[in-house]
Amino acid sequence: MAVLEIEKLCKRYEKFALQNVSFRVEEGHIVGFIGRNGAGKTTVLKSLLHFVMPDSGEVRFFGQDFSVHEQAVKQKIGFVSGGVRFYPKKKLHTIAEVTSRFYPNWDDTAFKAYLQRFSLDLEKTPEMLSEGMKVKFSLALALSHRAELLILDEPTSGLDPVSRAELLEEFLKLQKEGVSILFSTHIISDLEKCADDIVYISNGRILAVAPLQSFLESYRAVSFASAAEVQPFRGCLIGLTEEKRGCSALLTDADAQRLKIPAAPADLEQIMVHLERQACV
Amino acid sequence: MKALLYKEFRLVTHPMTVLFLLLSAMLLIPNYPLYVTFFYCTLGIFFACLGGRENGDVFYSVLLPVQKRDLVRARILFSVVFESAQMILAVLFSLLRIRLLGAQNAAGMDANLALFGFSMLLLGIFNLTFFPMYYKNPAKVGKSFAVASVLMFVCILILESFCFVLPIFKENLDTPDPQFLSEKCFVLLFGVIFYVGLTFAADKIAERRFAQLDV
Repeated sequence: MAVLEIEKLCKRYEKFALQNVSFRVEEGHIVGFIGRNGAGKTTVLKSLLHFVMPDSGEVRFFGQDFSVHEQAVKQKIGFVSGGVRFYPKKKLHTIAEVTSRFYPNWDDTAFKAYLQRFSLDLEKTPEMLSEGMKVKFSLALALSHRAELLILDEPTSGLDPVSRAELLEEFLKLQKEGVSILFSTHIISDLEKCADDIVYISNGRILAVAPLQSFLESYRAVSFASAAEVQPFRGCLIGLTEEKRGCSALLTDADAQRLKIPAAPADLEQIMVHLERQACV
Repeated sequence: MKALLYKEFRLVTHPMTVLFLLLSAMLLIPNYPLYVTFFYCTLGIFFACLGGRENGDVFYSVLLPVQKRDLVRARILFSVVFESAQMILAVLFSLLRIRLLGAQNAAGMDANLALFGFSMLLLGIFNLTFFPMYYKNPAKVGKSFAVASVLMFVCILILESFCFVLPIFKENLDTPDPQFLSEKCFVLLFGVIFYVGLTFAADKIAERRFAQLDV
């Protein structure tokens, strides 16, 4: 069952447009939403909850149209955008107390448990928290009203490697507790650690929606010692990139098998770099 | 709505907003354009909106399980509570003024029922100008307030001038209560009706604009 379905979402700005963005998040899955800076990740996530009003398209959470069931849907989801960006000088207990009044399902016992798990001190203010702790406070708020789906916009941006690893570990724990997660990032290693599926956006268009493993298996990385070696395969190569010692590119797995080129498995970073290069050509 | 209103008072209210309520005491100043007292009420609302902007209130609020239009309604309701509180305090201070100084005011309108009626009208005009502009772009709260307060001062200037040039003001409305009580009661009623109507219109326009705003 899908906890989130997006169909043909469009939003046009003067110099940028989301074009027919469609994908879904299955229950209990962690979905990584990737793309380079400015690809449209934040615009899509904000459009889901009408922080940005889409020009057209449908968004359904738990099978319910968001436009019609906004309040009911918001009771079941949590949106975290890079930590707490509000009320920097208010104590955390004040923010939590005000927030709790909006959720009939607010579980104070769970909130206290998350505070302990995340080592959060309610006497502190958001401005006293590190970036990682801000994200954790946002997560505690979202999870204490029993959010079934977490939408996180670049939650690991600006975190040190240790904090990132801790946060990703939390995602995996939450997944075991039945929470579905959609998170955007441009940090590839984050996805490799915890995502089940990926949604890849480039310049406002969805380029791929797939389980992570099958996405990885659908490409092969090739290297050439010189430009002359490239020539016979030029039509099949994706995102040919010149390097210090020759050049590299991607091939689809089907092309690699057909052409019998010695190719290595591609990692996400290679795929993203070459696909973006191809899009720029 | 109850939770949103609670949020307004707990998170949004600026200390200056409360302090400005006490400036209702300006009604005790002898020979002073008394309408100006109500400008401070609008300044309090401006501080609340400014504080909201500086503290990321819009971003916090849109995450809550409410619709965007509820956020507008709650802020306007908060302002109505604040304006009403200022009005009640102003009535109390005007009673004190009458006791200490008498109602008469050489600088403009006397402290009487008509003053409160026209003040309600002024606050309605402020609400209709400020909130639709503010919710079109909450980041430019200063611009919205500048336009609304300039308009309010122009209206104050016109109303105070009427006390010196228009006979109905000079002879009937700008007099101590209970003289010409029925005329003043009519002005008060007119002020209340316009305040409610203009504030309601402000809410509807602001809701529509905020619903379309990308935050």
